[in-house]
Amino acid sequence: MTSLEVVGVTKRFGALTAVDDVSFTVAPGEICGFIGPNGAGKTTTMRICSTLELPDHGDVRVEGLSVLEEPRLARRRIGFMPDAYGAYSATSIHDYLDFFARAYGLHASERRRALERVVEFTVLGDMLDKEIASLSKGNKQRLCLAKTLLHDPAVMILDEPAAGLDPRARVELRELVRALAQMGKAILVSSHILTELAEMCSNVVVIEKGKLRGVGGVGEVTRAVTQKARIFLRVLGEAETCERWLVERPGVAAVRREREGFTFELEGDSEAQAELLAALVAAGLRPVELAPRATNLEDVFLSLTEGKLQ
Amino acid sequence: MNTVAAPVERTLDDRLNPILVKEVRQSLRGRYFRWLFGLTLLVTTFLALMVVTIAASQSSEVRIGQEFFLTIYACMGGAVLVLVPFSAFLSTSAEWDENTYDLLVLSNLRPRHIVWGKLCSALIQALLYYSTFTPFLVAAFLLNGLDLLVALVILACSIATCIGLSLVGIALASLARVRALRGVVLALFGAGLTAGWAASLAFVVELVQHPEELRSDEGQVAVVVYLTTALLVGGVAAVIAMARFSHEEENRSTPMRVLSISLPVVATLWATWLHTISSDSEFAWALQIAAAHPLLLMWIFFVSEPEALGRRTRKFVAGRRGLALVLLPLLPGGARGVLVFGLHALIALGAVTGLNLLWGSAPDELFEGLVIVGWFYTFCFVYLALPTGLLGVLGKADRNRILVRVLLVVLWPLLLFVPVMLGALFGHASAANWEHPFNPYWVLMKMQRSDAKEDALLAPGLVLLLLAALTFALNVPRLWRAVREVLRPRVEGEVRP
Repeated sequence: MTSLEVVGVTKRFGALTAVDDVSFTVAPGEICGFIGPNGAGKTTTMRICSTLELPDHGDVRVEGLSVLEEPRLARRRIGFMPDAYGAYSATSIHDYLDFFARAYGLHASERRRALERVVEFTVLGDMLDKEIASLSKGNKQRLCLAKTLLHDPAVMILDEPAAGLDPRARVELRELVRALAQMGKAILVSSHILTELAEMCSNVVVIEKGKLRGVGGVGEVTRAVTQKARIFLRVLGEAETCERWLVERPGVAAVRREREGFTFELEGDSEAQAELLAALVAAGLRPVELAPRATNLEDVFLSLTEGKLQ
Repeated sequence: MNTVAAPVERTLDDRLNPILVKEVRQSLRGRYFRWLFGLTLLVTTFLALMVVTIAASQSSEVRIGQEFFLTIYACMGGAVLVLVPFSAFLSTSAEWDENTYDLLVLSNLRPRHIVWGKLCSALIQALLYYSTFTPFLVAAFLLNGLDLLVALVILACSIATCIGLSLVGIALASLARVRALRGVVLALFGAGLTAGWAASLAFVVELVQHPEELRSDEGQVAVVVYLTTALLVGGVAAVIAMARFSHEEENRSTPMRVLSISLPVVATLWATWLHTISSDSEFAWALQIAAAHPLLLMWIFFVSEPEALGRRTRKFVAGRRGLALVLLPLLPGGARGVLVFGLHALIALGAVTGLNLLWGSAPDELFEGLVIVGWFYTFCFVYLALPTGLLGVLGKADRNRILVRVLLVVLWPLLLFVPVMLGALFGHASAANWEHPFNPYWVLMKMQRSDAKEDALLAPGLVLLLLAALTFALNVPRLWRAVREVLRPRVEGEVRP
């Protein structure tokens, strides 16, 4: 059974197609990374999943409830943490959480329990009387997460939750997200920090210009992308010549210069790598290192997308 | 005691509007309210002492109570007619400033809870001010010279005005989502409130010095009309704010359309009541014309809505074709907005006919009422539906919706002023004196004069009828599409109720 089911969603804003026939699912306990360049349609898709936008075609089902037909019921199962998160800055943490608990219709005893639960989970207990305006970015994100969890949603949609956080706060947030997944919540999370996503996501959805570029488990998508081996090459001197040589060589693609050498995609297996090495030497270049590189989510992303904005 | 009180307290606590709880907590924590409250109290005490000292040193003829009351009213009016509505505006605009609107939409709160919570928190502030001023008001009464009825009426009017203005503040802030626009609206609203406060001072001075005016029939009618107008304006503002707080994808229009029908009905009830005081048949049409003015804003919104029903609003179409047709004007959509306008016109004309028949008026009076209301509604029909119908034919209505709304709002004063300016410029005396066919109020006055009915108004009347026919022709295609959209059978995969 899936908690979140996106079925053929299309959304247009005038002449612009922000999301074009996107489909994917997120199961309970799964953390699904939503990857794409700026303007790819991630936020629009997430807002559609949260009932805040309406798709022109397709539908989204949250635990089987359509966001079109039963938006109010669907909302009770969704915890949405938007990118530009709103907070009443002149309010204390307690008053803020208490307000939203009331707004979600929790009665006195439920409200107290919910507040205790989220405060304990997000470790905000020591600062309940602090004014929101005085909180650090990391604590604000914790507060937002606490607010999102108040009504105990089954599906969490987190739009760039790690944006602007320092490394420690990012690690803490990652642990919280993992803990939520262990509780059985389905989590759709977008981020530009792909290493971050790689460490916590079991599945990824890659989107560009509103179109789905890849979907599935991280390993699955990586394997699909890594039919071409990604190679690291370091040569002594003559970097320009080497780069030109690589670009012109058949079977070599996506040449990128790195600090000490180059990375590129190479068609074929170890035989092809041996041939390439021999050809390099024959061309008068002096290779000192040639090795296949493990493909990471960043490579997957770069391979699947062209980096074009809408 | 505690065991008995605890469940009651819990129940009450649960029933409190969350917005109200939040706003009151914010006000108490924030410096804005505390400073203003303290300052108002200080200024009032100082002024009150000054008035008493000066008045006591003057001759004994002086009615100290009146002067004391006027001084207190000036301070109290500043608080409840300026500060309270202004803070209602600020608290609503904070929802846009702090990006909290989406969070409210995602919660269980409905737009009516948001508006009601904002209004209640404004009224709690007002209540605090009133409770502060009460000892001063009692002192004013004890100092002699103040009529108790006048003081009570003034208090009642100030409460109604505070409610109306607070709701207007909430509605204006809900309309101005763009920060720059919000700044302009804030400045205009602040200026308007200050001007209104000054005007209310003049009104209060008149009432305090001539209390006998309040005891006349006209005085009582004026008070009732004022109170109901203030609350009605507040009601319209509340409906607008609720529509704005509804999510764009929801059906914002139907509740407004249903509530808008209450305006001509309330006008009819007023006319019935006023006729019992002064048996004048003109009330029948005059109040329908008055009710059409707050409706104008709603009509502008209705006729310029996107034509097609949204995917979420389509589920509101009744399953039976007959019922769907009857309820057609209540569904969202520009063309269906023209239909709801037509429904209002029918109610207004029906009310004029019914009331005149009920009162046994002469046929001439009934005819006059029908012609006046009919003419006014025809003028409004052309004003609203000609530009929107034209854009609909050109297929540009949906894209230019906001522009059309702004243009329609601006067009009404332009129709009044431009001929006056042109008349003054080119030496056309009557046009310069506001006597031109684009001024509906001048035409209405002309229509009441029997000598001018047939000749002076014949040409403008014919032109208006021709324009109305053209407007109708331009609107036929979109009206037909609006009917067809509702009647067409649902296709597989569409949203169902």
